[in-house]
Amino acid sequence: MEPTVTADKPFCLIADLHVAFHGRPVLKAIDLSLDSGGITVLLGPSGSGKTTLLRALNRLNEDFPGHLRSGRIQLRLAGELQEIHQPEISVTALRRQVGMVFQTPNVLPTSIQRNLLLPLKLVTDLDREEREARIEEVLREVHLWSEVKERLKESATILSGGQQQRLCLARTLALKPHYLLLDEPTASLDFKTSRAIEDLLLELQENYRIIAVSHSLRQARKIAGRIIVMKDGEIVHQLDREGIACPETLPQLLEELF
Amino acid sequence: MNRLVTLLIRGWSWFSVLLFCSALASLLWFLLRHGVPTLGLELFFGDAPVGKAILGQVRVWDALWPACVGTLLLVLLAALMALPLGIAAGIYLACFAAPRFRQIMSLSVELLAGTPSIIMGLFGFALILFLRKTFFPAANTSLLLAAGCLALLILPYLIFTTRAALDSLPAGLKMIGPGLGLSHLETVFHILLPAAGRGIIGGVILALGRAAEDTAVIMLTGVIANAGLPHGLLGKFEALPFRIYFLAAEYQSQAQLDSAYGTALVLLCLTGLLYCSAFLLHKTLEWRWNRQ
Repeated sequence: MEPTVTADKPFCLIADLHVAFHGRPVLKAIDLSLDSGGITVLLGPSGSGKTTLLRALNRLNEDFPGHLRSGRIQLRLAGELQEIHQPEISVTALRRQVGMVFQTPNVLPTSIQRNLLLPLKLVTDLDREEREARIEEVLREVHLWSEVKERLKESATILSGGQQQRLCLARTLALKPHYLLLDEPTASLDFKTSRAIEDLLLELQENYRIIAVSHSLRQARKIAGRIIVMKDGEIVHQLDREGIACPETLPQLLEELF
Repeated sequence: MNRLVTLLIRGWSWFSVLLFCSALASLLWFLLRHGVPTLGLELFFGDAPVGKAILGQVRVWDALWPACVGTLLLVLLAALMALPLGIAAGIYLACFAAPRFRQIMSLSVELLAGTPSIIMGLFGFALILFLRKTFFPAANTSLLLAAGCLALLILPYLIFTTRAALDSLPAGLKMIGPGLGLSHLETVFHILLPAAGRGIIGGVILALGRAAEDTAVIMLTGVIANAGLPHGLLGKFEALPFRIYFLAAEYQSQAQLDSAYGTALVLLCLTGLLYCSAFLLHKTLEWRWNRQ
């Protein structure tokens, strides 16, 4: 696949974003511009608004009751920056371009193949052969093909946690998104499996604009090209590659925050 | 102390299970002991020749066949009316309704569920009286009316179980559709409903059983003891639960009472058959969902 990520132009602009649920503010006056290459990691204590910020990017907050938003979010879609709340952009079309993987692997209680086929059938107009080719392509992309190629018709629920999470990743990638939002993708996995997923994300950053929520400093240091530190619904610090590389800066910062 | 509490809870759970199993076993044993000896063609068809009786060419007297057909038709008709409505209402309440409306509707459904079946029967009876005095002087209690009132009786079970099955799906499963950019409708029909299938079928089974065994509703809305095979939707009919009630209340010989046991056994088997059909339907749907 041709790399779609270019480091020089901003791909995400957020201006004065406020989000509240049932009148309780969760995000306050967020201003953010993402233009560097590499994975953006949102770091911060529980309840700091990381997941809400992530969900604002694919408008998933709107599916939760009592949601109220003000402010602008622009994403680079089809080559140009576009305001994602403008009426011309349908929320379903946006979410197909801004794929999301959740904290706990949420496979469908059906076969491995069906997990990938169902969204492809519903969303794309690929024919049967193209769909099967796409399935193989994404399963290879997440390094799952060799493990499941003999048992595509078996239930996805018998896969291990790490395999299920990679299947969820493959399911999202099958729809060819430009962005990948990851909400603590390794939170429910053991150390070794987490490392494998992190290595995979480092490979995927070549082709996708990745924004991930993490609670692990080790993980953030390993995968991040930029770290956004959040507290109480606000962005309190941003670190670029140099800041991340500096052995004192990040631990000191987090010591103050947590 | 904790150990003692655990032990007590465990003991109570085992006792409850044993009590349930022994109650079920004694019921079955009692029914089988009295019912099995009466099973035979005579119980179903009396003196009538079997072939002609099945085809409806001769009238069957004092036997089960018309009641079997009546009950089966009654349950099918009631299911035909209540299933689409009940399941659709459950889906609406779980996936589409605004929270406030959902609260009001849930209360109404609870109210409907708490209505005694005799009231449903009276409602049907009163409806016929009203129709006779106003628009349709020829209106009378019938198979259609009984099925309609039964449908009203089982509607809340269907709504409740469908709604509960959808509500209780894991939050992660509910997020798959929106996360992949599926529309709400696609998420509901392609992801949530198939995943909730088992729970919904559970409700269908419960509802079918309830429709098959209810006597109070049909007593006031069209069942009679010797109607023969039902003559169309607007005709009178016989039904197994009413036959059991009638035989048990007015038997004149031991043989008649025994045939009531036989009838109860047949009703049990018929309900079992309906359960099996519902289960098979669920398996077929599940297979189709998994099919490539």
